[in-house]
Amino acid sequence: MSFPLSDIITGILSTTLQLSPFYLFAAMGEIVSEQAGVANMGLEGIMLMSLMSTFVVDYMTGNPWIALLAAVGVAGVIGAFFAFTAIRLRVDQIASGLAIYLFGLGLSFVIFNTVYPTGLTPNYIPLPSLIANWNTVPYLGTIFLKQNIMAYISVVLVVVTAFFLTRTSLGLRVRAVGENPKAADNMGVNVNKVRFLAVLFGALMFGVSGFYFAGNFVPGFQTDVIAGRGFIVLAMIYFANWKPYRTLFAALSFNLVYAMQNEYVSLSGFGVASVSTLFNMLPYVFLLALIPVFGRKARVPKFLLKPYRKG
Amino acid sequence: MVVVYAGGNLGVALSSLFLNPITLAGGIQQIFVRFILFYTMGLGVGLALKAGLWNIGAQGQLLIGMVMVFVVYTFLAFLPWPALYVAMILGAALGGLLWISVPTILRVRFGANEIVVTILLNVVAINFAFFMLSGPIKSSGTALGFPHSVELPAQFKIPNIVGGVPITYAVPATIALGIILYLVVERTPFRVKADTVGESHETAKYAGISIPRVMAVTMLAAGALAGLAGATYLMGYRYELDIGSFSTNYGLVAIICALVGRKHMLGIGFASFFFAYMTIGAESMALSANVTTYVVFAMEGIMMLGILLGNYLTERRFA
Repeated sequence: MSFPLSDIITGILSTTLQLSPFYLFAAMGEIVSEQAGVANMGLEGIMLMSLMSTFVVDYMTGNPWIALLAAVGVAGVIGAFFAFTAIRLRVDQIASGLAIYLFGLGLSFVIFNTVYPTGLTPNYIPLPSLIANWNTVPYLGTIFLKQNIMAYISVVLVVVTAFFLTRTSLGLRVRAVGENPKAADNMGVNVNKVRFLAVLFGALMFGVSGFYFAGNFVPGFQTDVIAGRGFIVLAMIYFANWKPYRTLFAALSFNLVYAMQNEYVSLSGFGVASVSTLFNMLPYVFLLALIPVFGRKARVPKFLLKPYRKG
Repeated sequence: MVVVYAGGNLGVALSSLFLNPITLAGGIQQIFVRFILFYTMGLGVGLALKAGLWNIGAQGQLLIGMVMVFVVYTFLAFLPWPALYVAMILGAALGGLLWISVPTILRVRFGANEIVVTILLNVVAINFAFFMLSGPIKSSGTALGFPHSVELPAQFKIPNIVGGVPITYAVPATIALGIILYLVVERTPFRVKADTVGESHETAKYAGISIPRVMAVTMLAAGALAGLAGATYLMGYRYELDIGSFSTNYGLVAIICALVGRKHMLGIGFASFFFAYMTIGAESMALSANVTTYVVFAMEGIMMLGILLGNYLTERRFA
């Protein structure tokens, strides 16, 4: 087997851009949520529920846009419930987040299994590529035009989130309630309302992530199919110090490492899974290695994980 | 109280769960297998939690512990039987300890968040275990498609206390471990130290407590305990390592048990037994109702939320 180097590089870049949006949507959601002082560890559970809804609704309607609505809707309901427990009832955020994860992990498969007990499903209809005949453009077509519109939106979302958090008054209020809720309260900010909105926004973005996962990562639904990738988002934003552009960098570099080892493994054609699993560790070890380098400067929002009680 | 609460909360649906585990064949064995797993791991999670540290990576440390059992078994095979037996158990604990030493060092030396690092290491652990399983500790006869280790010979299995009753010596050993930790942790000044570090680093500093030391000791112990759980699981029940041992939920359930047991070394034991019982009950109910056993995860999530909300309600009443 011999492939021209240019094809290999094109393939690697294409994979990088195809996979990154999943992390970006969720990361922007979690950044806003955590800047407001609420860490949502249930993100992967919400993603699994949204992913399951995406597949089921897509199979039934054949329309990926309706599936997106379903995914976001489901995420919103679970997110609102999580926000209620974490903010209004002041339940430990990590504990209730993990409970939401277990809940989503189990329920997503139970529902899917009830709807499609045999596992036989109609064909999944994905979102179309940005340009239908991307094949005609050499290199750039595969890298950029093959991606669907959501991939582009994810990059716009990074810019919007960065602008929102630093340049809008609501964004400043979000950061204020995570940094110093008492002062924010004294200035007339409704702390818990802002937190609720931030957590809800976060959950909606997990829904979009779950939607994006379908087709781009897996062809169909299985148990525990996201397999920890949702949790990786927490590491990315930690490494990125809650900054949207740095998160973009983290997501792209993580997926670049992933795409490179993936390409290498498939080209070298290891017969057994043995060596390839070692390479599969690389992106995570890469992220891990970055943490002592960049993570030591991390400035956690001061009131992250701390519920606010007025008065 | 917890049982009454969860039972009252979920009503009739759960009441049928209570009988299945003790009436069905193998139910009691399953309860104790899970109890040992949850309790051993939960003790570690709870210990770290006392110092305010979240070990989300108990699942990874458990896996490494299981891998280490077979690494020792394969590569130290020249040792005589009793020494190898002990070495396998200690090796598992050592594996868990080594695995958690990464987040411990990053946390203590660099202040890196332990939640993030332990989560990352869970994914790495799965891949590493898979690698070891398909290479260095693979069974030579892999006709079955999925990679798996050899089965441990009889002399390395933890024996039953009474011949035919499938309750092994690991059960009293685990309970003894819990009591020892209770005496060492809850009945000594260490508890105050850990609690103070968990509450406020400033207070701890003011009180002259060595924060890095408390953090390092609790985290390393947590990893060793999770690794040890791997040894008792393999040597006391499963006897071989395969992909089926990679269930992703044990570490999380251990966290739930630690929280429900309010980080108390004995409380975690009761919580672990409760969750072991409920898990087996839910599994058998799922099987008899022809629902996927994944419903168990959903139920565990709901139970955990119910218990958290219950805590909220009781706290409010007494506040």
